[in-house]
Amino acid sequence: MFKKVIKILASLKLAVVVILALAALISAGTIVESRLDAQAAAKLVYHTWFMFLTLGTLCTVLIAVMVDRWPWKKRHIPFLLAHIGILILLSGSWITHKYGLDGTMRFGIGEKNRFVTVPATDLTVWYSADGDRYTKLVEQEVDFFLKSPKKNPFRLPMMEGELVIDDYEPYVSASRNITPSQQEKVGSALRFQLQNANANINEWLFQPKQGQGVTNQFGLAQLSLGIPADLKRAENALYLNPKNENEVDYVLTYRDPQRKPLKGTLKEGQNFQTGWMGLEFKLLRYFQKAEEKFDFKKLERPTELSTSAIQIQFQGKTHWVQLNDVLKLFTDKAVYILTYGNRRIDLGFQLDLKKFEIGRYQGTMRAASYQSLVATPEGTETLISMNEPLKYKGLTFYQASFQEGPDKEPIASILSVNYDPGRWIKYLGCLLICLGTIWLFYNKRKAARAQAPKPGEL
Amino acid sequence: MKHIFSFLILFFSLHLQAAEGISGLAVQDAGRIKPFDTFARESLQLIHGKDTFKMEKGNQPARPATEILMTWLLQPGAWEKTPLFEIRYGELKKGLKLPSEQRHFSYAEIMGADRLPTLMQDLSSRLQAKEKLDPYFQAVQRLESQLFTFREIAAGRMVRLVPPKEGHTWKSVAELDGELQEKFMAITQAFVPLLGVVVDPSSSSDRKKEVESQFNGAVEKFKQSARAENPTLYPPESRLDLEIHYNHFHPFKWSWILYLLGTICVFLAWILGKEGFYKPAWIFVILGFLLHTYGFGIRSYLAGRPPVSNMYETVIWVGWGSVLFSMVIEAMYRWRFILLAGTLVGSFCLILADLAPVILDPSLQPLEPVLRNNFWLLIHVLTITISYAAFFLAFGLGDIGLIFYLKDESKYRDRLKAITLAIYRAMQIGVSLLAPGIILGGIWADYSWGRFWGWDPKETWALIALLGYLAVLHGRLGGWLKDFGMVASAVITFSLVIMAWYGVNFVLGAGLHSYGFGAGGVGYVSVFVALHLLFVIFVGVVRFGRLKK
Repeated sequence: MFKKVIKILASLKLAVVVILALAALISAGTIVESRLDAQAAAKLVYHTWFMFLTLGTLCTVLIAVMVDRWPWKKRHIPFLLAHIGILILLSGSWITHKYGLDGTMRFGIGEKNRFVTVPATDLTVWYSADGDRYTKLVEQEVDFFLKSPKKNPFRLPMMEGELVIDDYEPYVSASRNITPSQQEKVGSALRFQLQNANANINEWLFQPKQGQGVTNQFGLAQLSLGIPADLKRAENALYLNPKNENEVDYVLTYRDPQRKPLKGTLKEGQNFQTGWMGLEFKLLRYFQKAEEKFDFKKLERPTELSTSAIQIQFQGKTHWVQLNDVLKLFTDKAVYILTYGNRRIDLGFQLDLKKFEIGRYQGTMRAASYQSLVATPEGTETLISMNEPLKYKGLTFYQASFQEGPDKEPIASILSVNYDPGRWIKYLGCLLICLGTIWLFYNKRKAARAQAPKPGEL
Repeated sequence: MKHIFSFLILFFSLHLQAAEGISGLAVQDAGRIKPFDTFARESLQLIHGKDTFKMEKGNQPARPATEILMTWLLQPGAWEKTPLFEIRYGELKKGLKLPSEQRHFSYAEIMGADRLPTLMQDLSSRLQAKEKLDPYFQAVQRLESQLFTFREIAAGRMVRLVPPKEGHTWKSVAELDGELQEKFMAITQAFVPLLGVVVDPSSSSDRKKEVESQFNGAVEKFKQSARAENPTLYPPESRLDLEIHYNHFHPFKWSWILYLLGTICVFLAWILGKEGFYKPAWIFVILGFLLHTYGFGIRSYLAGRPPVSNMYETVIWVGWGSVLFSMVIEAMYRWRFILLAGTLVGSFCLILADLAPVILDPSLQPLEPVLRNNFWLLIHVLTITISYAAFFLAFGLGDIGLIFYLKDESKYRDRLKAITLAIYRAMQIGVSLLAPGIILGGIWADYSWGRFWGWDPKETWALIALLGYLAVLHGRLGGWLKDFGMVASAVITFSLVIMAWYGVNFVLGAGLHSYGFGAGGVGYVSVFVALHLLFVIFVGVVRFGRLKK
């Protein structure tokens, strides 16, 4: 009976079927990745029960075929090496999957960080009756991508009523929207156009709070809102200050100290010549009281800037929360703070990003290399660059990427953090596979020679 | 007739000499220093789709890129109405309301299109949102860079000819001042009469020589001053000359011609049984292979790395590998057709690389950060792609086998046996290179990203191809695949390699191997794959019908 089962499992036909099934499955994975992203491919294909079932069957077949060849002879060695190699490789991968760590750390320039961010997402709710001391009400892992709350809303009992998560969008792009506001103490906002034959700038200037000025550099000139004009500075600058509900005062200064500043008042739709390289300034929109809101646009597929968001119903109101964002909910009696985001794991020590550098190809903005100078708690400084990681306390820190600010200057460095207990097992498996395959085909050479027709016979 | 001939000779010599002068100026462009010759060819290639320019009307011979670029610098206005800009994508022509039967359009025509500004705005908002571009916006992006390149060259801002005293960014023609500016003006002044002589066939040869030497003298003076600005940054003469030689001689073209000659000789030796052709066939193939290696060597030297970082370079490398493997197996068995398949595949690859410069970009590009200073990462690419060469050889052999099945199976039984065996050998070579290649990829991904296997599509498809060939080899062992099965699967399974090699970058366009991404040619490649699959099915059906009888 045992022999019969082994014979069936060890059959080459079954092996071919399993190999083809595996190939078909992972090719579907690459298509998912191309349409969506790597994370979706992992969740929908690579880490699913049918993937594990296929790999499990593969392992069973591999074991069966080796048992079937028992007792082993010398000529079986390469065959055994190749097949045991695959088993060892797969078990190493399993250990990595089960016990390994694979996450990222983001450092602003000069910042410290002790947390590794991993793909798993958690939902946490804190509660406070006095707005001072908070107690944790809920903390649990959620995977809305696989278990969409659209069909089965996710319900959490609160101190007052129930909090319901009833929608999830895997890919949204958040866009800033500036609207007039009725509230007190909010700042002003205006939208302008700066235009000449070569340039066309169309932007908002937004004051987050009354009394808090805002300055932006646009090419050769500096524009500010809510800042009193500084006539002593010889710079190309435009100072805009709200006058009343409909009008804005402006003062324009020049780099050339001989030129006199220009002053005036503007309404929506009015324009004037700045005298900076023929640029014309036009006031497109103006709100004396304005606020900033984020609108979410649903996307079919992700982009580099898209994120996911959940919809929350609480006390008759609807709120949207982006991934890794915080929502504050106020009731008559209490405050709730809800966070929805990637899990952060405390390393138990902190790293300090001292410096981040980008090397560029000569005469271009194309990155040729980038590297982070990182200090460990003992104060040892290490330069992490592409292909040159830092190994510390069993973890390995790799230079993964960086973030750029509006003027293409780097603002943050991203390291990937890794702990892989299966590494050497996988390497051993690989070594055996390579040895086995090459040896196997080298042996087959003799058999092929014997079969080969002579050139004269053709 | 005699008149035309002497004119051609004169023209050719003039063209070479004129090119010699200006070609050798060093230009800093796209992250490296190149001779003006390369810069001009690449710019004209981008804008016009060819590296020479021929007027659509009249019998003027095609003009070299260096000359065209000089006229852009000198008198961009004169190009306003000449159909210079190549737009291939039909939908974009429709979008801009340009005549769809035309391929080249003038600057005035394109700038006059009403929808151009909105399209450019759309493109920039898409780029800002970091969206993946669809073919339409890829075409818009190409047009944008064509217009940008033309404007920047015309304004002299992109032609960076003088090394800086400090720093790394070279000074462009627009930024020159003082003595250097005067010396550059002297070049342009000497260029005007040169152009006049070239266009006018009646000018005397003495006059021509005089004009040429004036021009070359002006260039040489400028070059000396430019070098004197910072001699350490200016590349050595030999390096510039080597690259110009590489551009002009174009070793890969000679190598595919020799391969084709080899193909014809093997074919004659084998089919007609004329043994006398066998030796010349080997000579042609070896000469072709040496030139192929020579070209690859120059490219490695110029790039400072093994050139396998984009589609063009891997196509050349795979062709090289196929010829190498075919020579090795042929030397073992002397069955003629192995060399035939090898030279066919080799010349196919090289012709493809020559024919489609828009899809297979032949320019030398600097490497992405991940690949830099990482010898082993490049080794994994070399190993994986060379395994594709073995599978490509098996594919070529499979095609030959299918033809014999179609002709008469029983008559060619021995040949088919031999072909099957050769396919088996090629697949073995392929598998024993692909498996270690994938593993090397994993090891170096682990080393630089900390991830041995991340289901990256490029690596995953290489694994799918490996699984495909493993299935074939196991199927043969289990008796499922006999001779016909092997021949058919050599052709079919190669589709997986095409997907891993080309499809991931050009069709899927996802993953970490984004440095090789490109666009175009999907239609042709799909037709190539589909025709082969149909051919297999057709031969299978015919054979099944015959066997039934």
